[in-house]
Amino acid sequence: MKESEHNFEDLKQLLKLKRCEIPPPGYFNNFSSQVISGIREERAGGAVGRLNSEAPWLTRFLGIFETRPGLVGGLATSLVLLLVFGVVLADHSDSDTQNMFSTDASAQVSAPLASAAISGVGTPDLAGVSADSGGIAISTNPVTSLQPAASLFGQANPLFQTASFAPAH
Amino acid sequence: MSEPATMSDASEPAEVLESDLVRRARNGDLSAYDELVRRYQERIYATIYHMTANHEDANDLAQDAFIKAYSALKSFKGGSTFYTWLYRIAVNKTINFLKQRKNKHHLSLNDLDFNAENDPDLVALISHKTPHRDASLSELQKKLNEALLKLSEPHRMVVVLHDVQGQSHDEIAEIMGCNIGTVRSRLFYARQQLQGYLAEYMKPA
Repeated sequence: MKESEHNFEDLKQLLKLKRCEIPPPGYFNNFSSQVISGIREERAGGAVGRLNSEAPWLTRFLGIFETRPGLVGGLATSLVLLLVFGVVLADHSDSDTQNMFSTDASAQVSAPLASAAISGVGTPDLAGVSADSGGIAISTNPVTSLQPAASLFGQANPLFQTASFAPAH
Repeated sequence: MSEPATMSDASEPAEVLESDLVRRARNGDLSAYDELVRRYQERIYATIYHMTANHEDANDLAQDAFIKAYSALKSFKGGSTFYTWLYRIAVNKTINFLKQRKNKHHLSLNDLDFNAENDPDLVALISHKTPHRDASLSELQKKLNEALLKLSEPHRMVVVLHDVQGQSHDEIAEIMGCNIGTVRSRLFYARQQLQGYLAEYMKPA
């Protein structure tokens, strides 16, 4: 192979021509800073990449807004209207609640219960409670609507029924 | 780029500093990595450029190689020098790129500062050793690049690393992940091929 190598001298001389090919002047001045910028971009892009892989639907959803900017305005308007509607509704329901507490019936219910609680002696006078309410204050809260087996003061609740799968007689 | 750089150029203190830079870069110190990039950017760029014969591609690939090396720095065990490890990344990236670019050869040498006209050795080479004495350096350069692009990627890589960059057989074997015998045989075959392609530009034996 040594003889062959000797024959390649001309070729090797010719290949030295390649060493004269250099990039534009000043090219390497900014090269490393471009690499560092690329690393920073890749770091930032890594979070986006993870989002793409874990929630592609979100990426597609956001992509819709990029293609149709009008949708962004529509969605923003809808959200604002929804917010305003929610605020108005909340104000309205607050006033309804206040009205409910200020009725005579509720005042009649709360008064004896409060006095019994203060005195702590004997059974409270539940006569004042409206009969159709079954001895329990009217409430839309499903928790308070449950019928307890006994009242707070040991009296049996007439509305309490034991659950049974036996056929009714 | 005027002189080929080899791994043996690095002195002992510089090697210690390199390991220190690598350790700091591995811990996220970008300024340390910036120093490593500055140290090897010209050699990495030159190797990729001689493989692709295109400045834009070489620029993109060299940057990608450095960025990939940074992200893979945690996996660098120190079994070889950082330089060899970095070179291996650049070489693999370039070969993969060239496989994808197959049959899409495009040369963009006009944007390079081709200053061989001022090199007396090369001028002498053209005027005395080539039968085509009227061939200009730029024409010869074009033919040379075309001939190199006809070689397969591994053969071209060996020629570039050895005859252009001046790397030793051992270093090339380590970079390319093959044994020295393979490097030698590839080099011999590649030179034979090139000699055939460029016969009209060389003095007959």
